[in-house]
Amino acid sequence: MKTPWQIMTKGDWLIVLMLLGIALVGIAWLAVAPTGTRVIVTSGGETCFVADLDRPTSIDLDGPLGKTHLVIDEQGAYVTGSPCPRKICIAMGPAKRAGDLLACVPNRIMVRIEGPAGEDAPYDLLSR
Amino acid sequence: MSWNRPLIIGLIVLLLALGWLRTNSADTEQVRRSQLMMGTIVEIVASGKSSGQLEAAIDDAFAEMARLDRVLSRYHQDSDITRLSQSDKGGRVAPETAEVIAIGLDVAERSHGAFDLTLGRLKVLWNFDDENPVVPEQAAIARAMAGTGPRAVELDGLNLIKRSPQLMVDLAGVAKGYIVDRAIGVLKKHAITDAAVNAGGDMYLLGQHPEHPWRIGIQHPRQQGGILATVQVRDRAVVTSGDYERFFEQDGQRYHHIFDPQTGLPARGCQSATVITDSVALGDALATAIFVLGPQKGLELLADYPGAEGLIVAADGSLHPSPGWDAYQDTP
Amino acid sequence: MTCSAVDTEKLNRARRQVFLALFIAIAVSLHMLESLLPSPIPWLRLGLANTLALSALYLYDGRAAWTVSLARVGIGALLLGRLFSPGFWLALSGAIVATSVMIIVHRTCGRHLSAIGVSATGAAGHALGQLLTARLLIIQHEAIWQIAPPFLFFTVFSGVLTGWLATLLLERLAQHPAFQTTGGHPLN
Repeated sequence: MKTPWQIMTKGDWLIVLMLLGIALVGIAWLAVAPTGTRVIVTSGGETCFVADLDRPTSIDLDGPLGKTHLVIDEQGAYVTGSPCPRKICIAMGPAKRAGDLLACVPNRIMVRIEGPAGEDAPYDLLSR
Repeated sequence: MSWNRPLIIGLIVLLLALGWLRTNSADTEQVRRSQLMMGTIVEIVASGKSSGQLEAAIDDAFAEMARLDRVLSRYHQDSDITRLSQSDKGGRVAPETAEVIAIGLDVAERSHGAFDLTLGRLKVLWNFDDENPVVPEQAAIARAMAGTGPRAVELDGLNLIKRSPQLMVDLAGVAKGYIVDRAIGVLKKHAITDAAVNAGGDMYLLGQHPEHPWRIGIQHPRQQGGILATVQVRDRAVVTSGDYERFFEQDGQRYHHIFDPQTGLPARGCQSATVITDSVALGDALATAIFVLGPQKGLELLADYPGAEGLIVAADGSLHPSPGWDAYQDTP
Repeated sequence: MTCSAVDTEKLNRARRQVFLALFIAIAVSLHMLESLLPSPIPWLRLGLANTLALSALYLYDGRAAWTVSLARVGIGALLLGRLFSPGFWLALSGAIVATSVMIIVHRTCGRHLSAIGVSATGAAGHALGQLLTARLLIIQHEAIWQIAPPFLFFTVFSGVLTGWLATLLLERLAQHPAFQTTGGHPLN
C-alpha cells in the first residue's frame, strides 16, 4: 500500500502547500486583527443569529411562542415586538456594551453582546 | 505501511496546529456563560488557569441551579412550594427549602412583618405574569391576605406548619438568591476563586475580576441605562429591589410587584433598595423588607445585621446610604 | 462479475450502475458517520464522502461524479431527517462546489496531478461552498470568515486523505475483472 507522498506528484505538492499557505496566512492575519462588536442571539440554547453591532439591521427570531423582533441600530440591539405576555424584553432597552444581555424568557430568546471589552466600561455587572 | 519520517512530521505539524488553536491564551482565562432559567437570565463568569476546569465547574453550577429551581419554584408542579400550597397543614420539605424558609422567617420576624413569605395568594391574584394585569378589588385583596403574616407559618426541623390551610408560601427572590449562593458553592468546590453569578441582577461576586476588583453598577431607578452608583466588592452579594422591573400602569398610577404585607398593595416608600451582604438569599430578603419599610425603618433594620450595608432611594428620589456604605462605593 | 452475455455495451452500463450504486451507499455511510463528529458550527463537515465521488470521476466521468455526490447528499439528508434543513443546504453547496472544482481541475491539470491534488482542491472547494452558504443562511455576519482559515487548514488534510483513499480504492478496483475489459488504467 502506497503512502500519500509516494503517490503525490509535484503538482499535488504545489497545490497542497499553496492551500496550506493560504490557510496559515489567514490564521496569522486573524490573530492580529481586532474583532468588532458582535450581537449573538441564541434560541433555546443554540446560536441562531450573529450580526455586527455596527451594521443596522432587523430580524425576526423564532421561538416556541412565535417571533421576537430584534432591531440593531445606533442605539444598540433591542427588542421591538415579542409574543410574550409581559413584554419585559422590550422594556429592557438596548444592549450595546460587551457583556450586555437581553432576553425574552418565555420565548427562550437570549441576546448577548460580545466584543473587545473596552476599558471605558464603568462596571462589570449591573445590579437591578 | 512503514512509519517513515514525512508521516511523523505531518502528524507533528497537525498536533502543533491543534495545540496552537486550543491554547492561544494568556495566563488567565475567563469564561462567561448565560442561560435562561428561574424566569430570568442567569450569567456565570469565572476566571482561572484552565478553561476546561472552568467549563466543567460552570456546567455543574448550572446543573445544580436547575435542580434547586425544580424544588423551590412555584411554577414547577412537583416543587416543595407547590405541594405546600396545595396541602392544608403544610408538610415535610427538603433541607434546602427549609434553609430558605428559615432565612425568610428570620427577616420576617426582625422586620416586624415587612418581609413576608406567605403572600403567594396575593401574588397569584395580582397576576403579574399576565398580558394585561389589572388592579384587583379591595375585597379580593383582603381575602388573599387572610391569615398571612410572619407567624402564619412555622418551621419545625424539616416540617413546615401552616396556620391556615389556604396559605400559599412564596419564596420569591429569596429562593433565587439561595440558588445563586449554592452555585457559588459549587464553583468553590471546583477550586474556583474568582467568579460572578448573576441571576437577573441578584448576584454574588467571588474573589475579583481578572484585572481589578469586581465593579458593580447599580441601576438608576428612573433613568433607563443610567447608573446610580458603582460599588467595588469582593466575596459579597449585591441585591437590588426596585419598582421599575415589573410593573404596569393603571389610571396614571404605577403598580409594581413588591407588596406591602400590611395593605396588599405595592409598597410606596422607596424607588429602589440595594443591599450588600454575605449571602444573596439574605440580601434579597433584606432588600425586599427595606423597600417596604422605607428609608428610616429600612436603615434601622439593616443596622440589626452586622456586615450588611445598603443604599436606599426613597420615593422622592433622595439617597439614604447605610453608615458603612461608603467603604464600597466607587463613584457618586 | 463477468457473464456470458455478449453485449458489452449493456454489460458496461449495468456494471456502471451497480458500482455507482455501491459508491453512493458507501458515500452515504461516510456522510452519516461524519455527522456524528463535533464541529465549530453545526453541520460544517470535512467531506470524507467525497472519496467516492472522486473515485467515480476517475473511474467513469464527470457525470458519474455528479450522480454520486448529489445522491449522497440527498439520501444522507433523508436518512438523517434533515432534508431542506440548513445542514442539508450546507452539505449540498459543499458537494456542488467540490464536485465542480474536482471535475474542472481533473480536466485541465489532470496530467500533472494525482487524485490527491484533485481531491485537495475539491476539499477546499467543499469548505468554501459550505462557508458561503453558512454566511448567507445561518451566521449572517463576517465573523464566520474567522473560522475559514483553520477550517481550510483541516480540510486540506482531509482532502489529501480522501485522495489517498480514492487512489487505494481505484487500485483495488483496477484488479477487478470488471475493469480489465474497459482498457486503460482507471487512474488516467
